[in-house]
Order: sequence, then structure tokens, then C-alpha cells
Amino acid sequence: MISIRHWFRERIPISGDVLRELTNEPVPNHLKRWWFCLGGTPAYLFVVQIVTGILLAFNYQATPTAAYESVRYITEEASYGWYFRGIHKWAATLMIAAVILHQMRVYFTAAYRKPRELNWMIGMCLLLGTLGLGFTGYCLVFEQLSYWGATVAANICDSVPWFGGFLKRMLLGGESYNEHTLSRMFILHAAVLPCVMILLLFVHISFIRLQGVTEFKFSDEPKDKPGFFSFFPDHLFTEVIIGLVLMLLLSFLASVVPAHLGPKADPFTTPETIKPEWFFYVMFRWLKLFSGTFAVLSIGFIIFAMFIWPWLDAGLRRITRNEEISTWIGIVAVIALIGLTVWEALAAH
Amino acid sequence: MNLQTKRVIIFVLGIAFLASLLLVQWQETERRNEEAGITTKLISVPASSSRCVECHDSSSPGITAHWRSSTHAEKGVGCVECHQASESDADSFSHYGEVIATVVTPRDCSKCHVTESAEFAASHHAQGGNILASLDNFLAETVEGNRTPFNPHSPTPGMDVTEVNGMASAFTGCQQCHGGKVALMDKDGGMINVDDLQPNEEGLPTNAAAVASILKDDNGKPKFHPGTWPNTGIGRINLDGSLGSCSACHSRHDFSPRRARQPENCGKCHLGPDHPQKEIYEESKHGVAYRDLHASMNLDAETWILGEDYAQAPTCATCHMSANSVDRSVTHNPGTRISWTNRPPVSKLMDTDADGKIISALDPAERQELLSNGMSHEERRQSMRNVCQHCHTPDYVSGFYKQYDDFVVLYNEKFAKPGESIINALRTNSLITPTQFDEEIEWTWFYLWHHEGRRARHGASMMAPDYAHWHGMYEVAERFYQELIPQAEELVEHAAEEGRTDQAAAVQAIIDEILARPEHAWKSGGTEPQGG
Repeated sequence: MISIRHWFRERIPISGDVLRELTNEPVPNHLKRWWFCLGGTPAYLFVVQIVTGILLAFNYQATPTAAYESVRYITEEASYGWYFRGIHKWAATLMIAAVILHQMRVYFTAAYRKPRELNWMIGMCLLLGTLGLGFTGYCLVFEQLSYWGATVAANICDSVPWFGGFLKRMLLGGESYNEHTLSRMFILHAAVLPCVMILLLFVHISFIRLQGVTEFKFSDEPKDKPGFFSFFPDHLFTEVIIGLVLMLLLSFLASVVPAHLGPKADPFTTPETIKPEWFFYVMFRWLKLFSGTFAVLSIGFIIFAMFIWPWLDAGLRRITRNEEISTWIGIVAVIALIGLTVWEALAAH
Repeated sequence: MNLQTKRVIIFVLGIAFLASLLLVQWQETERRNEEAGITTKLISVPASSSRCVECHDSSSPGITAHWRSSTHAEKGVGCVECHQASESDADSFSHYGEVIATVVTPRDCSKCHVTESAEFAASHHAQGGNILASLDNFLAETVEGNRTPFNPHSPTPGMDVTEVNGMASAFTGCQQCHGGKVALMDKDGGMINVDDLQPNEEGLPTNAAAVASILKDDNGKPKFHPGTWPNTGIGRINLDGSLGSCSACHSRHDFSPRRARQPENCGKCHLGPDHPQKEIYEESKHGVAYRDLHASMNLDAETWILGEDYAQAPTCATCHMSANSVDRSVTHNPGTRISWTNRPPVSKLMDTDADGKIISALDPAERQELLSNGMSHEERRQSMRNVCQHCHTPDYVSGFYKQYDDFVVLYNEKFAKPGESIINALRTNSLITPTQFDEEIEWTWFYLWHHEGRRARHGASMMAPDYAHWHGMYEVAERFYQELIPQAEELVEHAAEEGRTDQAAAVQAIIDEILARPEHAWKSGGTEPQGG
């Protein structure tokens, strides 16, 4: 036993103390509260997506002639195909929800403020990356929603002034949906975006380790209680519990509400109603409320404002002398987010 | 929350997750079973049948397993509900306290399936047993076999054959598709069937003497005549007077609608040299599409409505029986959508009177009068068009029917009617005997219309060009010109040599008149360049 350890230590010269130091950082007490663990949730779901995505890719064919049939094969014939597709679909939904909730938690606890502005921006990139994965993912099924969703997205890109046409061509691989579009979506979904996400996650977590987790004190905590607890095993157990709850939930959803397959994409039949996945409802409703270019530019502006929010927040607090200004803006934004989403969900067209 | 509590939670959640994987495994197994058609459904064994199931689980586990996967089992219809009989039934017997009968007839099924039974009773399927008086049956019973048993002429090593059953070919061949007369053994060694029992409207026998002479075993169970039972022919003639066998299509004990929807089910009988509908279908684009797409055709659907539950490809059931988004009800009379009958030597339009008989009258007024209570071929064709138009435009369907009508009329006029008139002339002029199949030309004519002629017409009816032509009209033409005409002329020549000059001249005149027609003129000198 000792010789095996010695053999490894000779070849991997990392001391146990350094490893313990790296992996067992003291964790602030507030992380014992469940809602502060929402950052780990999307990361965990991302791993689930990678594993199930690889399994699905074994049978998926990214061509317009074969895509739908291959998804049907996965859903109806391949061993456990329905289960892995169900897990992949529900994990995507939960991952997007968890990312949004995590970002809201960071926002309302002002954890983005100095010196964590850059990590907030990386988080924004991760949010956009997650939405991009969601969009390219449902394009791959090649059902009506996939085809017309991609077409509508391309038209939205096209309405961006100056370089809209370029964006559209980049998305579709041509002036309109063509035989290269699906393979482009697949490469984005299965290679480019996951690699970018992994890189960004690495930087995101590195920043957290370098800067430490923002500490919060709650009034109900005793003053003499230690402010930190150990990562291993205490916090790790919490994460394991969350992981198991998520797996149970995913397994339940995949079994009871399996991923269905809509009608095959038909370029000659425009569906009566075109609706994207739920996480784009807010943008879709916004686009319906305002004229094309204004709607697209305003969405671009809102996303830009979200990127630079740590500095906007500092400026607004200085100008208004109101420390809670960001909270009020956040409440309005969340109400708008929920309101537009529900509006779109309830609207027939 | 302390560490110990977390450990317990992780343990419980871990077990729950593993249990969820068991659920997934169960679902996957169920899916695979469903795919393989061996799904076990949630059932409750009705109290009336619990003893039957308990015992048959060990004595004949296949039967109970099939029943368990049936809709009957799901809905609480057990063994007794179908096999229950009256003590007055000829084939009833007491079986562990229940009076039952072995054979379940359409009369039994009609207790619940009223509409289906009535439709089936009106169908040509139900009349399948009428073959018992037909040319085909003469072949099986007499030409292939013998109507009475005869003695073997040499020993069979290992088997003590004292008597040859001359009906074996008819029992095992014809009657397993067409249906035979189910019979019980008479104490005197003969058989007792529906003709002897003379059942009343309730299906109960009225001939007490016949019932009294039924041979029974030591337990009081009537013995079936082994040639007539088992039999699942579609037109089986049952002891209670009912016609047919629902299990011919809905295999017994699991009564699978899924199976009845698939062409392989019809292929038990609709195949072979004389009516290869199954092979014709397989050659057609319909069959090709079915082979490719059957997995996604929703064959287990409750309703299976074309245009709603599926639209990938049609099966036999789709076109001839199943519901579609226009005609929303299933019919158990497959003739409802057929406009030509291609069964007889000369095809006939399916204009039927109130009794379902084809109207042969030529007078339009008389035809109309008979049709007023029957069903015209146009109505039947419209019913089929409603199916076709789920996938084809009205013009396309009209174009198909024009091609089909032209084909059938060509066959009728060029070969079938002339062939029939030559054979009739030979027989009426005594150039051949009244006995069928004792002269070569009778076999020739039989091949022409019964095998090749039907293949051609069925090929045309179901869009299979190779059957319409090479397996069909090409062989009809060859048989007509190379065999039927030469054999007829040879018979005429022999008759003339024997001094029966008037008869010979009469038949020769008919042959000459036929060959002088423009469509046969090519034979006598060629009317056009034949190509290279």
C-alpha cells in the first residue's frame, strides 16, 4: 500500500497538504442555507447534460434527411433512448432555471460588487451560453418548432442594423435554412458551446476560489458561532444531497413526462402558432410588443446593461444616494420577466 | 443540520435513486415487450374464471398468457364469458362445474360485439365455407383426394395405416382458410354437423335424435370429428348454424387488434398462385412504405383512424376495413369498399341486391330496382376513394380507377369471356365430358382464369405492375394462345375424325369467330411491325 502511494507521489508530485488546502477551503456559514447552493446546481446539471448528450450523440444524425428519424429512433427504439432523451431535456430546463435563479440570488445579495465585477460578467457569458445551448438543442430535433424556431431566430438576427445579415448567415450557414444549418447547430451544441462553457466555468470557479465566497451574516445566527465550516465533508455532503435530489427529480420527470416528438419539420407548412421554448418567451413577447429593429436593439441594450451592471449599480448608488436602488430595479426586472413570460405562455398567438 | 443527519439523507436518497432506476428498467422492459408484442397488461382475473386460469396456468400456460395480454383480460372478460354454453347446445359439456363449449362461434362473440358480428355475417368472408360445393373443393375432395376412405396399397413402415382419409387435403388445405363444417362424432362412426342438428334461431339443436347419437367420452365431453376440428377458417360452418370464425383474424385468446391490422395476418390465406394479394401488396408502393414505416404506425392505438392515428402507409385493414377520418367506423365486411369481384372467371361489378348477391340482370331498370335495396359498385368505390384520398388527390384516384377498369375489361373481353365460351361450347357439344378436370383443357382453363387471370387482376387492383403483367396477363395470353386454343382445336379435330362433324363444326365456328376479332388478328398474320 505504502509503495503504491510512493509510486504515485513520485510521478504526481503534489503533496497531500497542498491538495487538502486546494480542496478543503473553509466555507462561510451562510452556505448552509440551501438557496445559496444554486451555483453548484447548474454545474451539476451541466455534467448530466454532457454525459446524456454523449449517449444521445451515438445515435443522432445531423442532416435534414436523417435528423428527425434518428431522434425518433432514439425515443422509440434505442435501448433506454427515451430515458436519456428525457433526462437531457429536463436537465436542460432545470439548468436554465437554476442559472436564472443563481443569477437572481447573486444580484439581490449584491455579490457582484467590487471586487467580483469580472466574475459577474463571466456569469453573464455562462447565462448566454446556457440559452445558446437550449436554442441549438431544440433546433436539432428537426421537428416543426426546430425548423421554424431557427428561421425566426435568423430573421431576428437579420433585423440587427449593419451586421444583421452577417449574423444570420453565421447562424444558418447561408441566406436561408439549408442542408448545412443542422450540422452547424450540432457543432455549436455539442462542441463549441460546451467547450466555451467548460472554460468559462473553470475561470468562474477559479475566481470564486481566489476571491473567496461573499460572506453574509444573518440576524438569527448566534454571535459566537464560528463563521466558517469545512468543505469536506460537510459542504460536499450538502452538494451530494442536492445532486441526488436532482437525479431523482430528473428520473421521475423523464419517466412520467417523457420528451415527446412533435411533427417533422416541414419548410412548406408554416405552423399556425410558432412559439419558442419557455425560456425565450420573455424575448419573444418583447419582440411582439415593439417594432423589429427597436425590439432587437433594446434587447441588445438590456443585455449590455446586465453585463456592465456592477459599474452601473455603483454609479446609480452614487447619484441617487440610495443603497437599495439596485434591489428596486431588480424587483421591477423580475416582475417584468415573469409577467412577459406568463403573458406569452397564455397568449394564443 | 449535522453530518450524521446528512449521511442518513444521502443514504435514503441514494436508495430512492436506485429505486427510480428500477422503475426505468421496468419501463424499458415493458417497452421492449410491447415492441415484441408480448406485453403483459394490468388485469384482474374475473371471479367466474379464476379456477379456469389457476388450472390452465399449469396445464396450458400459453393460453392463459395470451389471454392475459388481451383487451378482454383488461376489461374483465374471462374464459367463462366466451366459452359458456347452454346445456342444450350440441357440443356443451360440464367442466369443473361450468357448462362450456370448446368452439367459440360468432354467435357467442355477438353477445357483446353486435355490430361487428352483423357486418361480418353480411360479408363474403362469412360465406367462405360455400367453397364446399365449388370447383376448388371438387379438386381437393376428388381430384387430389377421395370423398370416401380407401385402402392403402402398400405398408407404411412404422405406422399401421389401415385406411386412407381421402378428405385429408380438403380438411387441411381448403377448409383451414375457407372454413369447414364443424362436426361431432356420431356413435355409429359417422359425423353430426349443422345439417343434422338443424339449429333454431337461438342456435340450439332441434333434432333430438341427432343430439342423442353424439359420441361422448367418459366425462361426458362430446368428441369432435378430427377432420373438422380444429378449424379456424373464416367461413367456418358452426354447429349452432352461425357462419365464420372471429379467431381467423383475431387469433384466439389474445384477440390482438394490432395483429389484425397487419398484412401478415391476412397473408395466412391471401397468398399463393391463385390469389397472391399478400405478395402483390408487398410489391406495391403501399407495401414498401409499410415495411419501412410500420414501427411508427401506431398499431396499438385504441382507434387507429387513418389520417389521425397514422398516415405512413396503408395495410390490408386500412383500405378494406379500418376507420379513416372520413368514414369513422370500422367495417367487418371487407367487401364494402370493393367495386369489382375478381374471384370468378369473368370479373363482375359489385352491384349487389338486398341479399348481397351480385346482380346479373342486364336490363338497366331491373338492375336499378334490385339495387335500390342493395349496394352499388359506385357506392363501394366511393367508400374506397375516401381512403385513397387521404394520401392521393381526387384526380390521381380517378386516374388509377380508369387504369384498373380498363385492365379488368381488357382481361374480360379478350381472354375470359372467349375462354369461357369455348369451354362451354366444348361441353354443350359433348367434345368434353361433364366431369371437371378429366381433360387437359379443363386444367388449362382453370390455370388461365383461377391462377393467372386472378393474379393479373389482383395485381392491377393493388398497383403491383409485375403481377399485373409478367405473373398475370403475359401468362394468361400464353395459356390462351399456346394451350387453350390449340387444345380446343385438337378436340375439334378428334371429333371430326370420329365423325361428330356437326359438333366439331359448331365449336370450330366459335373458335374462328373469336380469333377473327381485331384483338386476335395479330395471331393470324400480324397487323403491325413487331419491333426488334
